[in-house]
Amino acid sequence: MDAKIGKLFDSIGTFFSGTDNIPWCDSDIVLGFEREVAQAENGSDDEHKSVCLLRLSWALVHSKRPEDVQRGIAMLEGSLPSTSDPLQMREKMYLLAVGYYRSGDYSRSRHLVDRCLEIAPDWRQAITLKKSIEDHIKKDGVIGIGIAATAVGLVAGGLAAALSRKK
Amino acid sequence: MISVFLPQIILLTKSIAFLGFVLRSISSMDSSSGSEFDYLFKLLMIGDSGVGKSSLLLSFTSDTFEELSPTIGVDFKVKHVTIEGKKLKLAIWDTAGQERFRTLTSSYYRGAQGIIMVYDVTRRETFTNLSDIWAKEIDLYSTNQDCIKMLVGNKVDKENDRVVTKKEGIDFAREYGCLFIECSAKTRVNVEQCFEELVLKILDTPSLTSEGSTTVKRNNIFSQKPPASDASTSGCC
Repeated sequence: MDAKIGKLFDSIGTFFSGTDNIPWCDSDIVLGFEREVAQAENGSDDEHKSVCLLRLSWALVHSKRPEDVQRGIAMLEGSLPSTSDPLQMREKMYLLAVGYYRSGDYSRSRHLVDRCLEIAPDWRQAITLKKSIEDHIKKDGVIGIGIAATAVGLVAGGLAAALSRKK
Repeated sequence: MISVFLPQIILLTKSIAFLGFVLRSISSMDSSSGSEFDYLFKLLMIGDSGVGKSSLLLSFTSDTFEELSPTIGVDFKVKHVTIEGKKLKLAIWDTAGQERFRTLTSSYYRGAQGIIMVYDVTRRETFTNLSDIWAKEIDLYSTNQDCIKMLVGNKVDKENDRVVTKKEGIDFAREYGCLFIECSAKTRVNVEQCFEELVLKILDTPSLTSEGSTTVKRNNIFSQKPPASDASTSGCC
C-alpha cells in the first residue's frame, strides 16, 4: 500500500515537474564569453564578432540567473531584425525561445518554437523545447483549475452556510 | 431544505480546498525527487560535426533514428538503466561538433565520469581529428583524472563506404587507453552495448563511484528510507 501511494505521488510529481531536458549554464561560463566578446570588439572581423556574440547569447539564455536570461533575450531581440542568413536566423529564434521559456513566457516561446519547427520539422532540440513548454502550460492549467475549483467550492459553501442560517 | 445537505456541502468544500493545497504543494517540489537511483553518472559525447553523436544518443534513449539538424551548443538527455542490480541515472551530454561552438562545449567536460569520442567510419578526417583535436580537448578540459574514455566508430551500416578499418580503431584505442566499439545508430547495432560497456567500466573504477565524484545518492522523499551507506565505497585522492 505504501509503495502504491509512493508510486502515485511519483507520477503526479513527474507530471508536475515535467522532464526538462534543457541544459543549464554556470555563471563563470557566461563571464568567459563576456570577456571573449569584449576582446572581439576591438579589431576583429565581423564574422568572428558574430560568432562570439552567438556563443554569449547561448550562455545567457541558458544561465541560471534570471538577469542573464533577460539580457540574452534583449541581445537576441536586438540582433534578430538585422539577421539575413536563414540558418543564423533560426538559431537565434531557437535561443530566444529558450530565453522566453526560462523566463516563464510560455506563449511567446511556443510561438517561436513553432516557427523553428516550420523551417526544420526534424529539429530535435526544438521538439524537446516544445515538449517542455507544453508540459509547463499543462501544469499551470491544472493548478489553475485546482485554484478555481477551490474558489468555487468556498463561494458555494459560504452561500450555503448563509442561506441555511437565514432559514 | 439546504440545511439538510449542509454537512455534505461543507465536506465537499473542504475536500476541494485540500485538493488545491495538495496540487500546489506538489508542484513546488524539487523536480528530481520523482525517481530513485544509486548513482548519477555524467557522460559526455564529443567528436566532429555530423558523425552522429545526437543520432547515437537518440537511438539509445528513445529507440528511434532520424536525420537530425546540427546541435546548437549543448544538449542533454537523461536515461535510467539498471546494470548489475544497480539503478543508474545517466545524464548524457551531447555537444555540438561544429568548431564555432568548441569554446562553449569545452566547459561541459568538467565532472564527466565517461567521455564518448565518436567518429564516422566513412569519413577519414573525423578519425584523424580525434588525435589532432578531441584527445587534446579531453586533456585540457576534463577534470576527472580517472574518467573513462570510449572510442566509438559510427555508421557501420554503410559498410561499402567504410574508409577507416576496425583495426585502426583498435590501435587508436590501445594507444590512448580507451574502450572501443563500432556501432550504427541507424540499425541500433551495438548502441546499447556501447553505453553499457562504458558504464560497467565506470562502476569498476572506485574513484569514480565514490562520494564526491558522483552526485550523492538520493532517495525518494516519499519513501522515508534512511540513505544507504554503501554508496561511499572508498575514499580517493
